[in-house]
Amino acid sequence: MFLLYFLSNKCSLDEHKRLLAPPSMVSTEQRQHAEHIFLSFRKSKSPFAVCKHILETSKVDYVLFQAATAIMEAVVREWILLEKSSIESLITFLLTYVLQRPNLQKYVREQILLAVAVIVKRGSLDKSINCKSIFHEVSQLISSGNPTVQTLACSILTALLSEFSSSNKTSNIGLSMEFHGSCKRLFQEDDLKQIFMLTVEVLQEFSRRENLNAQMSCVFQCYLALANQVLSWNFLPPNHILSCREVMHYIAMFEATQNVMLKPTASWRETLLDHRVMDLFFTVHRKIREDSDMAQDSLQCLAQLASMHGPIFPDENAQLTYLAHLMEGLLNMINGIEIEDSEAVGISNIINNLISTFPRSVLTALPNELFASFINCLTLLTCSFGRSAALEEVLDKDDMVYMEAYDKLLESWLTLVQEDEHFPRGCFVQPAVQVFNSYIQCHLAAPDGTRNLTANGVASHEEEEINELQEDDRELFSDQLASIGMLGRIAADHCIPLLTGLLENRVTRLHGQLQRHQQHLMASADPGTVDRKVLDDLYEDIHWLILVSGYLLADDPQGETPLIPSEVMEYSIKHSTEVDINTTLQLLGSPGEKATSIPGCNRTDSVIRLLSAVLRTSEVESRATRASLTELLSPQMGKDIVWFLRRWAKTYLLVDEKLYGQISMPLSTAFGADTEGAQWIVGYLLEKVINNLSVWSSEPDLANDTVELLVTLVEKRERANIVVQCENWWNLAKQFASRSPPLHMLSSTVQRTLMKALVLGGFAHMDSDTKQQYWAEVLHPLQQRFLNLINQENFAQICQEEAVKQEIIATLEALCGIAEATQIDNVASLFSFLMDFLSSCIGLMEVYRNSPETVNLIIEVFVEVAHKQICYLGETKSMKLYEVCLTLLQVYSKNNLGRKRLDVAAEEDQYQDLLLIMELLTNLLSKEFIDFSDTDEVFRGQEQSSGAGRAVSAADVVLYGVNIVLPLMSQDLLKFPSLCNQYYKLITFICEIFPEKIPQLPEELFKSLMCSLELGMTSMSSEISQLCLEALSPLAEQCAKTQEKDTPLFIATRHFLKVKMDDLAEYSELVETLLSNQRDAVIYQRLADAFNSLTASSTPPTMDRKQKVAFLKSLEEFVANVGGLLCVK
Amino acid sequence: MADPDLDFTSGDAGASTTFPMQCSALRKNGFVVLKGRPCKIVEMSTSKTGKHGHAKVHLVGIDIFSNKKYEDICPSTHNMDVPNTKRNDYQLVDISEGFLSLMMDNGDVREDLRVPEGDLGKEIESKFAAGEEMLVTVLSAMGEESAVAVKPMTK
Repeated sequence: MFLLYFLSNKCSLDEHKRLLAPPSMVSTEQRQHAEHIFLSFRKSKSPFAVCKHILETSKVDYVLFQAATAIMEAVVREWILLEKSSIESLITFLLTYVLQRPNLQKYVREQILLAVAVIVKRGSLDKSINCKSIFHEVSQLISSGNPTVQTLACSILTALLSEFSSSNKTSNIGLSMEFHGSCKRLFQEDDLKQIFMLTVEVLQEFSRRENLNAQMSCVFQCYLALANQVLSWNFLPPNHILSCREVMHYIAMFEATQNVMLKPTASWRETLLDHRVMDLFFTVHRKIREDSDMAQDSLQCLAQLASMHGPIFPDENAQLTYLAHLMEGLLNMINGIEIEDSEAVGISNIINNLISTFPRSVLTALPNELFASFINCLTLLTCSFGRSAALEEVLDKDDMVYMEAYDKLLESWLTLVQEDEHFPRGCFVQPAVQVFNSYIQCHLAAPDGTRNLTANGVASHEEEEINELQEDDRELFSDQLASIGMLGRIAADHCIPLLTGLLENRVTRLHGQLQRHQQHLMASADPGTVDRKVLDDLYEDIHWLILVSGYLLADDPQGETPLIPSEVMEYSIKHSTEVDINTTLQLLGSPGEKATSIPGCNRTDSVIRLLSAVLRTSEVESRATRASLTELLSPQMGKDIVWFLRRWAKTYLLVDEKLYGQISMPLSTAFGADTEGAQWIVGYLLEKVINNLSVWSSEPDLANDTVELLVTLVEKRERANIVVQCENWWNLAKQFASRSPPLHMLSSTVQRTLMKALVLGGFAHMDSDTKQQYWAEVLHPLQQRFLNLINQENFAQICQEEAVKQEIIATLEALCGIAEATQIDNVASLFSFLMDFLSSCIGLMEVYRNSPETVNLIIEVFVEVAHKQICYLGETKSMKLYEVCLTLLQVYSKNNLGRKRLDVAAEEDQYQDLLLIMELLTNLLSKEFIDFSDTDEVFRGQEQSSGAGRAVSAADVVLYGVNIVLPLMSQDLLKFPSLCNQYYKLITFICEIFPEKIPQLPEELFKSLMCSLELGMTSMSSEISQLCLEALSPLAEQCAKTQEKDTPLFIATRHFLKVKMDDLAEYSELVETLLSNQRDAVIYQRLADAFNSLTASSTPPTMDRKQKVAFLKSLEEFVANVGGLLCVK
Repeated sequence: MADPDLDFTSGDAGASTTFPMQCSALRKNGFVVLKGRPCKIVEMSTSKTGKHGHAKVHLVGIDIFSNKKYEDICPSTHNMDVPNTKRNDYQLVDISEGFLSLMMDNGDVREDLRVPEGDLGKEIESKFAAGEEMLVTVLSAMGEESAVAVKPMTK
């Protein structure tokens, strides 16, 4: 036996000798052959002697590399058989080998060191091989003073560190997670500290030297990187009890971890709480800060130190001392220098870590002076980074380091001031003023601001092409704006009047500028002579002022009622005694006048005055459109205005006193319920919306923002009640219903949303006559026109005429909008209204059978109705909807079976109808998951309880629909992601909801369904496979229930079970194999016990929910217990 | 209640072959005239020059008869021509020398339409050869016509 191996090894050796020839002289075939030899060589048994021989004789780097790899793999593989002494001598051999050959290729050297590290790690638990001797060796190497040798020492330490870190840098040696975890724990308590101490010594030594030559700098850099690696160590908690989360922790630690916070164990106290360590890193940074690569490492080390938390601190006092020292060091470092570009991000990381890691109680316990100078420094830094970030934008730099640093610091501010009640009152006001001012300054044009100014004060201004995919500033900079808005609230006394003053000034200038243009245009007919530069500067100023004002005055929480920020409320209350309410209302009510021209304007409420400054902007815009100057206006500014008004209205309009502890009189007088102010402003907003929709139909985004403002006004009953009292609202409704210009020029999405708003408004409080009249003006014209049209005798002849088609399309769009307006309290009436249309729509399907665009739109109406309404419908109503959907499907199928089209559109669009039908079916099925109809009885009084057998069920419709869809879904179509997802979602729903219907499907259909499932499991994305498996389990349960063994479903399901999972017999076989592979008796027992308790609780397998939950629970315990053993790397 | 301006009873004699529509109201998968040709819109996007500029619409259309691709960019306030399109179904009665013989609703037979190129044409020819009865959908716009779809006759 031994001889045989020996011979085969000899043979490999010969092959190697042949391969000593340079690779360039070998053919591809030979190379493949050689590769094969290498691979099998690495698998050969006990290759140590051969490898040593190769290492000593070969001069080909690649061969050396392979030999090192072979040693590493063989040691791991044959670990049990190797004697401790032979392993130790192997380590010595490898280390000596590397030491004696300083000129080895880097990758060969690293591979050999990797082999050493792997061997040491493998032996650290059971052969008591440890790093001590290596560390001894390394410290000698370091003290040699020879840079090459010192670098080598660093490489040895780095290799050990990477191997023991059990991270993504760790090699795959086929051992359990638990093994990796235990090694790591052992290492972090002792050896890691050794490495850190060695590193610190080297750094100390270097930081003392006066001049460093290039070679020495390199060594310095290696050790700095090593220090960074130690400080970024992801410490495992010291306990040995495993929880399920722990196992997850193991698995997570093998994935790349970035930004690990430093959380050392208590045993590190002596090392890391020593101030000299921290001082060293400050010193090191000061020394090398001009070298951008090294500076990154040294700053990262400091950032790690700033993130330190956990058991290392014996008490809060220790934390306080540490933080104070860190802060002092940081301030000393920053205050004496002019910050380099490459330092900005690192420094902001230190600050951000520090603020988010240390508890408020520790921050507030700092000596006042220290904290004050820290805040002062943070303020200056934020302002300075903000200015540099603005410069970067002007220069259009690829690498926006200051922007990144600025974002970080603003984030830190937000963390700080969000809990400012812990700090002395008012301590952030002055800093907030400064940061706010500098933000505003950077965003305003000269002379007030510095926007678009390069460092030497030259203005740069370029018009670039912006496409629709580019985000609006209000989203792109939402984080920055949220921080600035928050700081603005902190310093409301300063910031609100500042914004108001600036905005009023810009609006006055804009007004004047537009007037000059108008006169100019009247004098000379040539509009080309208009210089837009001044206008664009004003627009950009106003743009930022409105954005900041919006973020300052209100939040936009998704889903809940936004409240007036407490700071703003307090600010308004504080000044309310000096405020003259009547003048305030006068100021608010006269957006056409200059604010400063109103007598007593300085005795007005500032919060209201800021809003009214935006209204003044809006008024200038509206007047310009009336003067036919729309060409000169900025659609962006138009968007900003309606965006602001919407955000404002959600929070301030009809302010509800019950939600606040105390309320400002000016605010409640101006905007409270039943006030003239509220009525006036609703009227004003409505006028604005109407004006925008007619002037800006060509600007899709602006029209969209505008119509969203309208929805905001009517979606709350209280606001809608006021809206419907406005004559303008009725005019808008009539205008839209008559489809007269200009509303019909809006894009289809805007028209839908407009319809939605009009319908929502119809549910406001009105007396019954008025209500009837409203619906007669809004919905009935739609119905009437539609019926008149389709009931014409010659409809079949004229249906292809453009005017007729336009009318039909507009009606269908409106129906989608009506469905979108569905709410729980209006579904009863909207459903009845829409149902009448749905039947007529089916007639249209027939008429427009050969116009795919129209057919798609008709199906879309059904999709929307099902989507918005089915969850509220009781049994009778649902059945009506099912019936009409069934008819729709029948007509569709009649007209499309066997149809072949020549379609020029992009491929995916051709199948829009299929996609829509699947969507419809999925929506119909969703009732099984989301059903509100029982709980709230929205149809009370209307619904006669009809026990008399369901004529049509959801299952019937859906299966009929599947009948149509399945034959059309070819494998090619499944390549389109949208179709594929929708398709599998649908069939999974069906299997989950009606498993009992599946066996009754016609054979062909059944077969193709099963084929789809198999395809989904075997050759689609993991998401799709998951859906298919979800579909499979109810099918299997169905089999178990019926107990009939020869049904096609049973056969198919069994097939799947074979494909995908092991049945019980195979399971026990698997368990046996696993157990028999375990040599360790303790582990064997643990595994066997774990398997027993896993299966004990779940046999016999019945299918109710309780059992499933029980099984899941024991599976979880099982994973917690042995997961660490079974996961292998 | 119906709008008096709307009159759906008049025929289309002498009607223009196109009508104007503001760019912003065009829709994807709808029709538009690009470079004088009736096109189906397959791509529609907007852009602007400078942050405070006005929207421009970028249109990509495919000629509904020749399948050629056309592009255009114009201010979104502009009106574009939209072709009046019509689709009619005719029964296929014969194919000779590459031309379809189609029976119109009034019983007349027209023989002026070519068998379309590509898969659809092959489909029509092979089905016809197999003796199947079919309805052919003819799309017309701006004075041109072409067969665009085929469907077996339902009895």
